[in-house]
Amino acid sequence: MTGLPLSYDVGSVKRTQSPTYGVWGLRFVALSYLVLFIVVPLVVIQVQGVRYGLDVFWQSVVRPEALSAITLSVYTSAIMAVINTVAGTLTAYVLVRYKFPGKRLFNTLIDLPFAIPTLVIGVMLVVLYGPQTAIGKFFTSELNFRILFATPGIVMALLFVGYPFVIRTVQPVLLQMDASQSEAAQTIGAGAWTTFRRIIFPAIRPAIVTGALLSFARSLGEFGSVIVVAGNIPMRSQTATVYIYTQVEAGNMQAASSVSMVLLLIAFSITVGVDLLQWRRHA
Amino acid sequence: MPGIRFILFTLVTTIVIVLAFTVFQPAAAQDSITLTLAGYAVPREAYGDIIPLFQAYWREQTGQTVNILESYQASGAQSRAVAGGFEADVVALSIEPDITRLVDAGLVSADWKDDNAYQGFAAQSLVVLAVRPENPRGIADWADLAQEGLEVITPDPATSGGAQWNILGAAGAAQRGFIPGYEGGDGVTAFLTALVGNIAVLDRDGRESFLTFERGIGDVAITYENEVYAGLLAGREYSIVYPTSTILIENPIAVVDTYVDLHGTREVAEAFVQFVWSADAQRAFANHGFRPVNPTVRAEVGLVDAESEATEEAPSTVELNPEITFPTVQDQFTIAEFGGWGEARAIYFGEQGLFTQIISQSQGG
Amino acid sequence: MREISPRSPVAIVLIIVVVAYAGLLFIAPLVAILQGAFADGLEPVLAVFTDPRVQHAFQVTLILSLIATAINAVFGLIAAWVLVRGKFRGKKLFDALVDIPFVFSPVIAGYALIVLFGRDGWLAPPIFSIVFALPGILLAKVFVSVPFVIREVQPVLDALTPEQEEAAYTIGATRFTTFRRVILPEIWTALLYGIVLTFARAIGEFGAVSVVSGNIEGYTETATSFVFRALNDRNDVGGYSVSVVLCLISLVILVLMSFLRGRIVRRGN
Repeated sequence: MTGLPLSYDVGSVKRTQSPTYGVWGLRFVALSYLVLFIVVPLVVIQVQGVRYGLDVFWQSVVRPEALSAITLSVYTSAIMAVINTVAGTLTAYVLVRYKFPGKRLFNTLIDLPFAIPTLVIGVMLVVLYGPQTAIGKFFTSELNFRILFATPGIVMALLFVGYPFVIRTVQPVLLQMDASQSEAAQTIGAGAWTTFRRIIFPAIRPAIVTGALLSFARSLGEFGSVIVVAGNIPMRSQTATVYIYTQVEAGNMQAASSVSMVLLLIAFSITVGVDLLQWRRHA
Repeated sequence: MPGIRFILFTLVTTIVIVLAFTVFQPAAAQDSITLTLAGYAVPREAYGDIIPLFQAYWREQTGQTVNILESYQASGAQSRAVAGGFEADVVALSIEPDITRLVDAGLVSADWKDDNAYQGFAAQSLVVLAVRPENPRGIADWADLAQEGLEVITPDPATSGGAQWNILGAAGAAQRGFIPGYEGGDGVTAFLTALVGNIAVLDRDGRESFLTFERGIGDVAITYENEVYAGLLAGREYSIVYPTSTILIENPIAVVDTYVDLHGTREVAEAFVQFVWSADAQRAFANHGFRPVNPTVRAEVGLVDAESEATEEAPSTVELNPEITFPTVQDQFTIAEFGGWGEARAIYFGEQGLFTQIISQSQGG
Repeated sequence: MREISPRSPVAIVLIIVVVAYAGLLFIAPLVAILQGAFADGLEPVLAVFTDPRVQHAFQVTLILSLIATAINAVFGLIAAWVLVRGKFRGKKLFDALVDIPFVFSPVIAGYALIVLFGRDGWLAPPIFSIVFALPGILLAKVFVSVPFVIREVQPVLDALTPEQEEAAYTIGATRFTTFRRVILPEIWTALLYGIVLTFARAIGEFGAVSVVSGNIEGYTETATSFVFRALNDRNDVGGYSVSVVLCLISLVILVLMSFLRGRIVRRGN
């Protein structure tokens, strides 16, 4: 499940049909579409990756630059997922629990990262935190801490991109939560924190995990914002997606394809895992 | 089966739309022709001036309007794009091997630089160093780039032809004994290692690399003279440092024979390439910080060669910018220093190349 | 959970922290880019939009994104239907595959197009160019936005009860009419939401386009490619101005999304 679910289990009725005329036609159209636009590019990349044999494939993946890029992607996405989990859960809770002025506007703005081109996200970050700006200069000269063209910049871009995920998976669960349990807890004297810890948190934990994993998988493949914001030293500040781009531009198609496949494998196993989690919950 | 009808309708509509793209070409008037120029990243402003000059020239000569589509990206990437199907009529790239790739792909004829007073080179430049105004780190020459704790900016030789010029400039200077403490063969390796240790960002092409420097990253950028001028002309501020020894950059230009024959644009493409060597175009190059190859214009900007030909007073519509000067460096060498591009790339940038290996070995920090 | 007014200091702090985080993440960059665009005043910004190359870039972006969205809307709906209602071997596999474009690096998608349709490609086309021309960009936009319609429509289709459909059949309605009159109204909002997401993704696509389009200015340059190039041309005002317009388009999309989301949640209750 990648798009954030809008409707929740209202009791799913599995309805299957035996094939009749027209159904096969539809099926053919649907499957051709999926094959054409998903399977074919996949196959192309896999062929390119292993065209010189499996050992060359492996070599391309474990080259120091490639490994370093993959590691950086995983590392920055993980940091982002952790920060996002906390920020997202808090935000979802605040959105559901409290009334405050501008809440509706805020709720709308949460989806901004879905609507905005990722390149523009990167450009905005450069304009705001780049080394020429007041903020950037402050960080570089006073604190000797470079924001952009280094890891923190990458994490910031990923935070922007991944912001809605946890919020939008946790929000609906909180909305549907029965108020009586937490109210009962309060009447027997439990404080807000205990109520949260014992009653609310266990209920939203699966949603948090789902959202975090989804934002992680999404970030692994993030390109548009990172290309503008990250430095590009192989082995130091090159994420996997930027590495792939560099290899494509340099004509090393085999290397680009191999690393793509690895990245895809990681991200894909996560989304499959999330889908499985959801299936199990529905069952 | 109504469902099928709907699907068929959609499919047909889609096909019609896709076919519409075969005629969705950029607007072209009746008596006009379209030429596509694939350039490397850096000369975009120069060609921005040259193209209108050529369009006026062509209209005068033939009465025909020529639309010129431009694309600029890293030399290596651009070369590969053309080889991969980008139907450019003229290619203006940074290094000769990027044209050779097209010769090998059967797109450019092998004699593209024969019969040519300029060996196929449109313009020249030098590898230089750019530093912050006032030069706070006191960079005077190549040797200073090996300092501890210095941040150097240069593009990535894997994607950028221009980046290869930069590294070869450094390597050649060391090889020729102009970097104190790093003379000779071992000196080259030692210097490059120290240099790589100081590289902060490796961008995809020369333009992006220099922009990174402009945005405040790094203490010194290895770049081309024309790129520094492009920035200065745009109002940016830095100082330029000419090393005692550096490499002469020569940028080739060629007609892509397969595509001009396919498009029927051979005449105008060849005219364009010839025009690039005309005095006016060369003056436009000079105004953007490129060193002209045309002897007349070279004399005008103060680049006097031993064997320069007599200068004819060509009528000029282009004013030379007096603020652009082309100093002579003490030791100027060319790609011949390395035995040509084939040798140079094999030694430095191939799979087992010296530079490639040094980059691989540098770990973290 | 019931919505209450914040009373305790903890509550107020929480709200402030949450809003400040969002502000720092979103509002500050948005403001910064507005500032950057208008740094030299209004004139240069207006000049940007009278430039024919910018206009062409927007045309290319909007038209191709619309077509890509239309393709994904129609075929995505069909695919969602087949994946929910169909019963065939390998269905689970196909269903899992739908997530691929979501995590597939877009650069490599562009490269795959070149491998397929480039000069020495597997399927090099005889008549018109696909790569380094507009059709390639269209294909790239379609690829990256495939999952949205499918994933939004699937759960809603899944949740439909069969009674209404069966009632329609018993009074003799054809399958298509049943679809049109009974099913479509139920899934309409989810479908629209998916379409809006698809459109947003198609407009924003950059990685694949930068590899596959050749970046031919005034021809195959999209709005996002233009921004990237403008910044490289030291044309900061141009780059930021176009970015601002893209943000405006995003805000419109956002409002649409919010409206549709509200309708869906109400429906779900």
